Amino acid sequence: MVSPAIALAFLPLLLTLIIRYRYYFVLFYRAVLVRIWKDCVTGLSREERAFQYVLTNSTPGDPDSILDAFDYWSSKVEFISNIGPKKGKILDRLLMEQSPLTVLELGAHCGYSTVRIARALPLGARLYSIEMDQGNAAIAEKIIRLAGFDDDTVELIVNPSDEVIPRLRSDYNLERLDFVFMDHWKKCYLPDLQLLEGYGLLGKGSMIVADNVLFPGAPKFLRYLRKCGLYEWKIHRATLEYSKGIRDGMAELIYQGIK
Amino acid sequence: PHPSYFSPGVEDFQENHKREKHYGKRRNGDRQQNKRENQRRKRSSKSVSEPETSEDGDDEEEVNNDGEVRPELLSPEELEKLKEAVDEKKKLIQSLRGKPWPMKQKLVTLRESQLFVEKYEGALGKGKGRKLYAYKVMMTKKWMKFQRDFENFKTACIPWEMKIKEIESHFGSSVASYFIFLRWMYSINMILFGLTFGLVMVPEALMGRPYGSIPRKTVPRAEEAGAMDFAVLWDFGGYAQYSVLFYGYYNNQRAIGWFKFRMPLSYFLVGVGTVAYSYMVVIRTMARNANESGIGDDNSFNFSWKMFTSWDYLIGNPETADNKFASITTSFKEAILEEQESRKDDNIHLTRFLRVLANFLVLCCLAGSGYLIYFVVRRSQKFALDGLENHSWWERNEVNMVMSLLGMFCPMLFDVISTLENYHPRVALQWQLGRIFALFLGNLYTFIIALMDAINLKRKEEKVVKYNITMWEASLYNGTGSENSTAPPITIHPADVPRGPCWETMVGQEFVRLIISDTMTTYITLLIGDFLRAVLVRFLNHCWCWDLEAGFPSYSEFDVSGNVLGLIFNQGMIWMGAFYAPCLPALNLLRLHVSMYLQCWAVMCCNVPQERVFKASGSNNFYMAMLLVILFLSTLPAIYTIVTIPPSFDCGPFSGKNRMFDVIQETLESDFPAWFSKVFSYASNPGLVLPFILLMV
Repeated sequence: MVSPAIALAFLPLLLTLIIRYRYYFVLFYRAVLVRIWKDCVTGLSREERAFQYVLTNSTPGDPDSILDAFDYWSSKVEFISNIGPKKGKILDRLLMEQSPLTVLELGAHCGYSTVRIARALPLGARLYSIEMDQGNAAIAEKIIRLAGFDDDTVELIVNPSDEVIPRLRSDYNLERLDFVFMDHWKKCYLPDLQLLEGYGLLGKGSMIVADNVLFPGAPKFLRYLRKCGLYEWKIHRATLEYSKGIRDGMAELIYQGIK
Repeated sequence: PHPSYFSPGVEDFQENHKREKHYGKRRNGDRQQNKRENQRRKRSSKSVSEPETSEDGDDEEEVNNDGEVRPELLSPEELEKLKEAVDEKKKLIQSLRGKPWPMKQKLVTLRESQLFVEKYEGALGKGKGRKLYAYKVMMTKKWMKFQRDFENFKTACIPWEMKIKEIESHFGSSVASYFIFLRWMYSINMILFGLTFGLVMVPEALMGRPYGSIPRKTVPRAEEAGAMDFAVLWDFGGYAQYSVLFYGYYNNQRAIGWFKFRMPLSYFLVGVGTVAYSYMVVIRTMARNANESGIGDDNSFNFSWKMFTSWDYLIGNPETADNKFASITTSFKEAILEEQESRKDDNIHLTRFLRVLANFLVLCCLAGSGYLIYFVVRRSQKFALDGLENHSWWERNEVNMVMSLLGMFCPMLFDVISTLENYHPRVALQWQLGRIFALFLGNLYTFIIALMDAINLKRKEEKVVKYNITMWEASLYNGTGSENSTAPPITIHPADVPRGPCWETMVGQEFVRLIISDTMTTYITLLIGDFLRAVLVRFLNHCWCWDLEAGFPSYSEFDVSGNVLGLIFNQGMIWMGAFYAPCLPALNLLRLHVSMYLQCWAVMCCNVPQERVFKASGSNNFYMAMLLVILFLSTLPAIYTIVTIPPSFDCGPFSGKNRMFDVIQETLESDFPAWFSKVFSYASNPGLVLPFILLMV
């Protein structure tokens, strides 16, 4: 019914959309299509595939080589959403500045960020890593031990974060968290932050770093930050992990305490 | 302590006056001092007030303390001194703003000086002339106040000024320059509308023959049934076609009405006049803009100047203060961008290659769009030959749709391609404008070529119709029988007379339809692409998995280049079609008025400022230059048709003539005295005209 000429007139629009959002298309291809294909072919989950690769291509006891192996696999073979090299550098720098003794990590996933944080910790510091999914937690545990971090430095807790945080003070004897790293489900950022505030686990000067606040984005979290005034916050702008064109950011919050 | 610029006498009595008024305690001492002074000056007769105590006797000080001065009691030198003092005070008031004093000091000095001037100025006129002098002074003050108020009033009268200032404070000068351009266009169209409405449409409507009196003014019998349908009216057929809106309605009677208004002459001259006026206005504005140099002159301490001198201390309104704040922030962003751009250094070869590649891609796109339009136009000609009723609405309006769609989508593609080129945003904007210009020009000229084909078709038809009409008339007279001259004239209803084709009205209709469809496309794109998008982003954000405001689709940015070009080409189409459809300037005026309000609202409501905000300074003359080119290119086809194609025999003010400009010849011969035409024929000798033109240029 509609003539071919009018259909052809839409061609520039199509080209524009493809070119402007090319990175998103590439991301979709790598993160969704390739993953489904490989799932069907190999029968292992994505994290298990990553673990296999890291096991065979890195040096045990050397966190740097493990991280490099992860980076290589994520950028060349398949996409997995670790924090990535660029944002990882920002995280390292923040850790060096802050030198926290008690660190909480929400969402270990494969253990990449756990290893990254543990690598930058000062002596005597302890990292508590919370992971909800059993399979992921198992892999994360293996990776962390492969990197050479023992139970003194890193403790992996396998429970959802909203169940663990209320029990941190009672079960784990934590008084104050110096550094919190959030990288779990984006819609849980705000509830978990409010839980941490509510249970008094944050002191003045505690730093909270939240990943992926721009893509996929945590709008309620950011809105809360702007409104409540309890934090000095800024967003470190970078690109999404292993992707060049998609803009993303990490939010860095410093708790000021109630005035 | 006040610095003393006053003359000694003035200082003394000034100080005394102050002390009297404010402290009042050391009167005795002052009086002593003044007594001494008075004795020094040997004042005589009675004195009234205390401040003039250096002039007056001080024994009257306590008597009259209210500051009245009797100038007749002053000696000339004292008058002179007083005048000097008043002048000094006035100078001080004028130069007060530039003094490096704290604000409080300035305010106190200002108040004192103003009081002083007020008090003694009126008293300076000598004796009897005092009243006149005081009156003169008062009138001068009133006149100055009136002038100031009038200036304020004039600024308040500029239409949409506050709207544009608000937009400028939030979005920067480049977006505001679009709206200023729109406003300027509106004023031009106002004049064009005045000309066409007042000198063409109104005379014909009021003084010409009414609707239904002659064939060309009546809807033909065949079309009468559907003449009032909305669909037909929307397409500008039916009653809309047979009205003052289009060329075909006008009668070719040489003079109409009781004061012999020369309609055809007026029609022709208004057509020429609109073009001439437009040229004049555009060139004059270009000349005026050429004086303003582009970038600001002082390049040193740019940021310090901006930081310390941007604020306006006269703002008293919170909203204005917010706007000023936003405007200063935006201007900082602009300055930072300029600074960044001036420091970039890059790999020349790669950049050049990418730029060449980008231009090649753009050329491919332009060629593709040109071919598509050509193809569509050919198809529509085929449809016309088949008869338009057989095809759906889509197929009938294919040309318009394809042109609008291409005009909307290709600029986006150019924008995306231009990210390869890595230019400064102002330069990139100019390239973008140039490319869209080429696109629109190609589309427009293809459209015109299509129209020329249709005109030729109609002219061929004309010959056939002429023949048919002669046959029909002959049959009519034959049918009344073989009676000779005493037969009464046959009255045929005008609607039944067979009509000749009217290519001018068709051209006018095509332009009007094009402009309407263009306008509709713009508004619908605005509503859907900007408003609906903003509504979706705003209200779906809290229940969507990713942040709609930061990622896709987010709020749209205002597209300066696309809108400017749309405006310029719209105006070009008006210039092209105004001769054949006098309603076009009126239509455009309405369109611009609505656009102004709609776009101002849409910008403030749905758009976000661009991330890289840049100054629009050099762009204004660029827009004007493009407008001039479009003016030239759009009047070219109209002039060509006027000069080469004979007017239709059956419609319009020039029917029956060989060429449209014959009306000038006719006027010269019949309306002016004989000697005038002789003079004119001598003057139009090329040998005389050429040196004259060269001299003027």
